[in-house]
Amino acid sequence: MQFPKRARTAVLAVTAMATAASLAGCGGGSGSGADDKKVTIWSSIDQPVQDGLSKTLTAEAKKEGITIDWQKVENINQLIMQRIQANDTPDIAFIPQPGVVGDIVKRNKAFALDDVVDTGALEGNMVPGTLEAGTVDGKLYGLLVSMNVKSLVLYPKKAWEKEGYEAPDSIDGLNELTDQIKSDGNTPWCMGIESDTATGWPVTDWFEDLIMRYGGPDEYKKWVKNETKFDSPVVKEAAAEFEELMFTEGNVLGGRKAIASTNFGTAGNPMFDAEPGCWMYKQGSFITGFFPKDVTSDLDANVGVFGFPPAEAGGDNPVLGGGDLATMLDDSQSTKTVMKLLSSTDIGNEAAKSSSFISPHTDFDAANYPDDLTRQVASVAYDSSEFLFDGSDQMPGEVGAGTFWKDMTAWIAGQEDLDTALKNIDGSWPAS
Amino acid sequence: MKLLSAVITVAAGIGAALALYWLLNKLAELMPTKWEERIKPFFYILPAYLAIIVYLVYPAIQTVVASFQDATSTEFIGLANYTQLLTSGAFQQTLVNTLLWILIVPATTVVLGLGVAVLADRLKPSAEKLAKTIIFMPMAISAVGAATVWRFIYATQPEGQAQIGILNAIWTKLGGSPVAWLQTSDFRFNSILLMIVLLWAQVGFAMVLLSAAVKGVPGDTLEAARIDGAGERQIFFQVVVPQIKGTIITVFITVTIAVMKIFDIVYVMTNGGFNTNVLGNEFFNQLNTNFNSGAAAAIVVMLMVAVVPIMIYQVRHFRREEANA
Amino acid sequence: MTGMTAPTQAPPPSETTAEPAKRRRASSFDPNPAKAGIGTKIVLTLLCLTWLIPVIGTLVTSFRPLDDSNNSGWWTVLGSLGNLTFGNYQEAWTGSNFGNAFINSFAITLPATFIPLLIAAFAAYAFTFMEFKGRDVLFLTIVAMLVVPNYVALVPMLKIYGFLGMNGTFPAVWLAHIGFGMSLAIYILRNYMATLPKTIIESAKIDGASHFQTFYRLVLPMSTPALASFAIFQFLWVWNDLLVALVFIGPGDNEPVTLALTGLRGQLGQGWNLTTAGGFLTMVVPILVFLSLQRYFVRGMTAGAVKG
Repeated sequence: MQFPKRARTAVLAVTAMATAASLAGCGGGSGSGADDKKVTIWSSIDQPVQDGLSKTLTAEAKKEGITIDWQKVENINQLIMQRIQANDTPDIAFIPQPGVVGDIVKRNKAFALDDVVDTGALEGNMVPGTLEAGTVDGKLYGLLVSMNVKSLVLYPKKAWEKEGYEAPDSIDGLNELTDQIKSDGNTPWCMGIESDTATGWPVTDWFEDLIMRYGGPDEYKKWVKNETKFDSPVVKEAAAEFEELMFTEGNVLGGRKAIASTNFGTAGNPMFDAEPGCWMYKQGSFITGFFPKDVTSDLDANVGVFGFPPAEAGGDNPVLGGGDLATMLDDSQSTKTVMKLLSSTDIGNEAAKSSSFISPHTDFDAANYPDDLTRQVASVAYDSSEFLFDGSDQMPGEVGAGTFWKDMTAWIAGQEDLDTALKNIDGSWPAS
Repeated sequence: MKLLSAVITVAAGIGAALALYWLLNKLAELMPTKWEERIKPFFYILPAYLAIIVYLVYPAIQTVVASFQDATSTEFIGLANYTQLLTSGAFQQTLVNTLLWILIVPATTVVLGLGVAVLADRLKPSAEKLAKTIIFMPMAISAVGAATVWRFIYATQPEGQAQIGILNAIWTKLGGSPVAWLQTSDFRFNSILLMIVLLWAQVGFAMVLLSAAVKGVPGDTLEAARIDGAGERQIFFQVVVPQIKGTIITVFITVTIAVMKIFDIVYVMTNGGFNTNVLGNEFFNQLNTNFNSGAAAAIVVMLMVAVVPIMIYQVRHFRREEANA
Repeated sequence: MTGMTAPTQAPPPSETTAEPAKRRRASSFDPNPAKAGIGTKIVLTLLCLTWLIPVIGTLVTSFRPLDDSNNSGWWTVLGSLGNLTFGNYQEAWTGSNFGNAFINSFAITLPATFIPLLIAAFAAYAFTFMEFKGRDVLFLTIVAMLVVPNYVALVPMLKIYGFLGMNGTFPAVWLAHIGFGMSLAIYILRNYMATLPKTIIESAKIDGASHFQTFYRLVLPMSTPALASFAIFQFLWVWNDLLVALVFIGPGDNEPVTLALTGLRGQLGQGWNLTTAGGFLTMVVPILVFLSLQRYFVRGMTAGAVKG
């Protein structure tokens, strides 16, 4: 058969396309196996935190002859699970949810870190409980590199000091303080749980803080695994306290009906009006990133913070928090070396200076933090009896990112009573 | 350098596609005439079919299989995914909501799209262009963008604070107290508000297609009707509509199918909370939040079954068309 | 119900159909003497205003500092004109590698629009004007595939791409968009082509034109409005696509604008104000495409072709 001249051109074009394709390539993860002295990392953490960590890590890795390619991605949980099924993953992924780390382990794609990092030393210098957060079936798979602290109550410092309010040392004290603020003619609490696709998550933090205080850390851990049901005395005790603080007439700006529709990010802003619209806001350390510019320009002067108080004055005081767990999806020597670097206390030195980064290492040099507020937040964690990872992040997605948010929101909005909500949540727990 | 390599890649890609057809056509012409006629149609649809088989049929088959398997697609569990979904009260509500979307959105989209296409057709060209661009504009906004946009319509602030949502601003001006619109599920009110967002975003789609069809109606047929003394309404229903009926059906079916799997607007605005859940969103959450590929697959299979009546209609429509041709 | 889609009044083919490419706009008569009455104008104006309010709201918001947007409605902007700023735009532009991402977006979108259009046009032609075994079944399979969410294809394709080493390349996304857009493209084009007068095509055949010639010289030009419509949609979808790009290209050197923009948002949604600005930056291109392709929707195109 004669091969026409134009057909030859076509073949050339096809070849050109293939060449161009390979030229344009090299975007994705590097896959596992071969050690090319290049380590790719994916994370969803905020850009400034990532930039800071990356700066330190790149410099350290360079000494070992390793280059770092660190990318920020949206929704890392979903992306990683897809990539895992396709066997095409970055070498290290920062997973914000222990539940997802567990899912990765279940699919045999994560490598245990026990022999990679110095677990003995880490047990000594990390906040108690942080290693447990990344432990699956007795082995360490997720290493907490950066964390946030959620057992916090923020308040408008200037107005607060003028009124002479004092941080409470027990939950009863918190109730008394609430009444005191109210009797001064003010609205004690700011509250909002609206968060687009994730509406309801702030209320889960409230429950977690209360449950770990009323039931203690062990009961909390059982509850996270659904060994203690939602429909149980300890959860109801937490709900009763939440009701007392949030549903009582005059306790919350906008009242109960506004909670579900007020955005969590802006709910605290009325604290900084000339006449504070509300006086306390329980939120995670990251909330300062949502405050108005004139507040954040001088955080130390404007914002005060105290740790959510223990059930009894002087009692056990665990702290609720979250963070990003570095998970190893490749076992080349370079990746292990980088993982080891990530476990060092000093990895956060740069990040702390210029972002909301909080180190999970108690021996971290607090002088690196940009302001006193961050130092105070960090010390809430460092002084706590135990760090307990956000429970809803450890529960199965159906519950932790599903019914726990939705049914609690429905309860707060008055569309469901508490018993129904609790039973619905228990009922949604997947079989295995 | 970046620009250059991008240009080369693009040129090579497009060149290769053109060359492919040229080759296929040459190949067919090399055959004996009898074979050529028989084989050519298949050559013409071959690339299209390859793409569809690889990207849709093959995954669809996998999905059917996965729907009978457990969450991680490792074990067969029979119909468990289906029974679990269909017996759950929340899922039944999801089905009702989806049905509501299917009943309301496609018809409204066609009516609005056709209305704009026909009415704008009568304006002078510059005004027509402007009107159509405005209606089209929301299509250029991503779902996340649309959610941000509509936040400023539906947002609620506690009583006493300045409202940043225009709906509540008007409502409180009139003396009402702020309403959490997207959380008001009485009479599926919030679902309807979400549908409005989709209508806003998608009427442009219907308008573009219908406008092309309306413009395709030969001017002389309109002229003839006018000479016969037909009124504008008569011309519309008796001359224009019959001639663009094919496009109307195309748009209606396309929108219906798109609505069956509607996901992004619901996801970004309520994530199915407050009884606004729909199948597409449930599918997404099963797959990406619960990592339950079995349940997710079962939802897709239900959608594939639900599309059968549409296909039957399409077959009948086909046959009539053939008969009349 | 007649179910007729082809114009019944198709004029008899003239002897010049062998040279049908000589389309010209029928300019001898005013194709559409109907004039907009005052009612039409009012209805359209109201509709356009309704459509515009959200867009204007976003546009205004994109120029406002975040604290302003959080504290007062955008319609109160006249009271604080002095606060307006390009800050959001600046931050959106510099915060993500926008220039590079724009090139990538074009490199992804142009082939992913043109190639499916070409492939679909051939297939639609075959489905409309050619006789072959299994035609209806094959076409209906395509219609049925419309309902399959793209999402189910992501993981299987990732596996195949991983095997071929194609992840992260432009062709990986082109092919994906070709596959995902193909059903709708064929469906729309076939249904449009079915409304073209069959008589012309038949007479072309009688005149000895090959299928390739009929397709290229006759059917393609006559289908311009449908081709232009689909080109607009496909361009738009690919341009605004986040999902396919995220999964198949991922972050890095080849990321398109949509991916670059997501980097601006914090883990908990901080910085949404930048999405308003970023959104407007990316909107410009699809709107220009729409405007430039709009001129193909001109009355009398089919009629003109028929008259030759």
